[in-house]
Amino acid sequence: MRLIKAMTLAVLCLGAAFPAVAQERSGPLRIEITEGVIEPLPVAVPTFIAENPAAQEFAESITRVIAADLAGTGLFREIPRDAFISQVTSFDSTIQYSDWKAINAQAVVTGAVSAAGDGRITVKFRAFDVFADAPLGDGLQFGGSSASWRRMAHKVADAVYSRITGEGGYFDSRVVFVSESGPKDARLKRLGVMDYDGANVQYLTDSSSIVLAPRFSPTGDRVLYTSYETGSPRVFVLDVGTVQRRALDVPAESMTFAPRFGPDGQTVLFSLSEGGNSDLYSMNVNGGGLQRLTSAPSIETAPDFSPDGSRIVFESDRSGTQQLYVMPAGGGEPSRISFGQGRYGTPVWSPRGDLIAFTKQNNGRFHIGVMRTDGSEERLLTASFLDEGPTWAPNGRVIMFTRGTQGAGGEPALYSVDISGRNLRRVPTEGPASDPAWSPLLK
Amino acid sequence: MILWALIGGFFLRANDPLPLQSTEVSLLTSAEFAALSVPDASPTVPSEAPQVVAPEPGDSEPEVAPTIEAAPATVEPAPAPEPEAESAPEQPQPEPAPVVEAPEEAPMLPEPPSEQASNAEATKPDAEPQPASAPRVAPEAAPEPEPEAEVSETVTPEVTPDAEAEVVAEEKPATAPEEATTEIVTEADKPSAPTASVRPRSRPAPPARVAETPVAEEPARPQSDAVVDAVAAALAEAATSTAPTIAEAPAAPSGPPLTGGEKDALRVAVQQCWNVGSLSTDALRTTVVVTVNMTRDARPDSGSIRMLSFEGGSAASASQAYEAARRAIIRCGASGYNLPVEKYGQWQNIEMTFNPERMRIK
Repeated sequence: MRLIKAMTLAVLCLGAAFPAVAQERSGPLRIEITEGVIEPLPVAVPTFIAENPAAQEFAESITRVIAADLAGTGLFREIPRDAFISQVTSFDSTIQYSDWKAINAQAVVTGAVSAAGDGRITVKFRAFDVFADAPLGDGLQFGGSSASWRRMAHKVADAVYSRITGEGGYFDSRVVFVSESGPKDARLKRLGVMDYDGANVQYLTDSSSIVLAPRFSPTGDRVLYTSYETGSPRVFVLDVGTVQRRALDVPAESMTFAPRFGPDGQTVLFSLSEGGNSDLYSMNVNGGGLQRLTSAPSIETAPDFSPDGSRIVFESDRSGTQQLYVMPAGGGEPSRISFGQGRYGTPVWSPRGDLIAFTKQNNGRFHIGVMRTDGSEERLLTASFLDEGPTWAPNGRVIMFTRGTQGAGGEPALYSVDISGRNLRRVPTEGPASDPAWSPLLK
Repeated sequence: MILWALIGGFFLRANDPLPLQSTEVSLLTSAEFAALSVPDASPTVPSEAPQVVAPEPGDSEPEVAPTIEAAPATVEPAPAPEPEAESAPEQPQPEPAPVVEAPEEAPMLPEPPSEQASNAEATKPDAEPQPASAPRVAPEAAPEPEPEAEVSETVTPEVTPDAEAEVVAEEKPATAPEEATTEIVTEADKPSAPTASVRPRSRPAPPARVAETPVAEEPARPQSDAVVDAVAAALAEAATSTAPTIAEAPAAPSGPPLTGGEKDALRVAVQQCWNVGSLSTDALRTTVVVTVNMTRDARPDSGSIRMLSFEGGSAASASQAYEAARRAIIRCGASGYNLPVEKYGQWQNIEMTFNPERMRIK
């Protein structure tokens, strides 16, 4: 029996062997790699060269901000300086790629800062792909007042990020949020605006009335928000530059809330509650053109446009529980897109247009999640006592949201997370903060 | 003159600096922020240097320090609230207004925003969230290595010389793979997601490749089947012995073919260094085919690496994907891949297809 098996195997193998060998040998060895690793890319950021004594104080600070920006994404890991073999002594000095390869640096960012007598500084940088033995694009230089050194650092980091990952950065951007203080049952709230990393905080309103849900315009020059200063919720538009504000021109007896700019910067979406029923409306931010988009006995709120302005996502309890729906921008029959367990709310369309972020409540826990615009591929990124109100970074790679903590001393804080669910971080703020909205990338 | 014409340029060539672009950045005050963001009127960050006036301290806008509100008094724990920002009130009554000590004057917006250009560091977070397990995601899960262990593909115990031993062992440090999980575990996954799981094995080699068949099927055969083993071994030997004849064709690889195990070892070695963590979403949709020539000591000739083709993305995303592939080949081949030198003819030139299908964010 064994002999028969052996002979059969021999015949089969001999029949197949030689053509196969010939085929195998007809070209180069071919392999397919389908599994890799996901880990931060090691990057070296030697301290930028101070080209004159006055630039000394900025060189170190700018370098630190750039390194913090990159490492803060979770996509990069800064190599400690004491591991460096090469020291960069001049902006134009040649890069010793072998020295950087030896410490596994895969990218190197070098730069220099010079300060002029009139208070202006210049920051220039170069990035290098160590394993390609080549620069990553041309050098780039930014100039401005010394007070804007942080913006220049963010711009350098954005450029480096973009060159390495191939997608836009988000460091030179701002976040408008609600700054909170006081006990939980008597919260004082005011609007604040800050750099994406929590620096350079400025306040846009005082704490005399409750403010909620600030939202940037697509150009970043105006903010929509809901205020209770008239005693009932009402949507206001505020000019960030002048801090002048005015209420949207809607019927005085109605309550308006949950505003959002359209991609044209002129159309405003919001919820309007009249006679106990809330529906979605749109109008021109300068007044006029009030249009009712939904007409249902249920609560429709939290609308947001798709980036191309063709569709609107919103939350509604028309099915009995709070779920997400998508409908044409001009109104029409909505399609439900959320079907998982629990309640869904505060949908926000990604700037890339491919995903919708949302808040989900299920089994007593709150989550920030993302799904495709048809509701497929739902992924929950966070889980806590209270997570809510996602907002997208300008490049659609990071989500910022509010996390509340339990108990008497519980306070809201801002957090960010990568859309992969990695790199959950707290955004530093001076005090309790909630309801963030990310600006577009600054020009 | 001829000599000067030939080599004179060497002495005269200037050290041309690398190209450098220049642009301007200005401090973002509120007014500038608004102005900068208006596309048509935006004077900000021009490519050519505009006159940027440094803001003077105590400029027209008064410095108003942000009011740090009083610390909240102790209150009773509240139940988990609903998302308040965007949710419509169940009963569209306004939220009860908080008890605010109304100022004597009518509530006024502050003077132009408090220019609290606090470059000072904001408050430090008091409770950092726990990072999601190991920061490295790799095909094979690996526990946290011993602190003194060197990073390696395999786990090797430390070898220290024993003075009393007859044969003194060569001193070797312990090695272990870098800590890794096999998949991204988000905060939401933590309660139920396993900390480590085994990925499915790679697809077996096609059955037509006879030289690989005995190796690939070896584990499935009964150990005691000596006759079958012997025949299979003989067949493999016969197949490999005829290989040189076939390989005599010009430009064709020579030497016996690599076994499935040898190819798997190469694949595993490269994928250890294929880091897709920093790739864009588009690049993660792009498959690239890369060719590389190898030296006899199994190191990649980095100058020979080039992209043959790509699929599924733009040229820009293909470029990013190619750079990641190139880094993988060079980094993990720096000390030479584990390839049999007697089969150099087979792996002298390698085409690697980097397919990120399974590495996409899903």
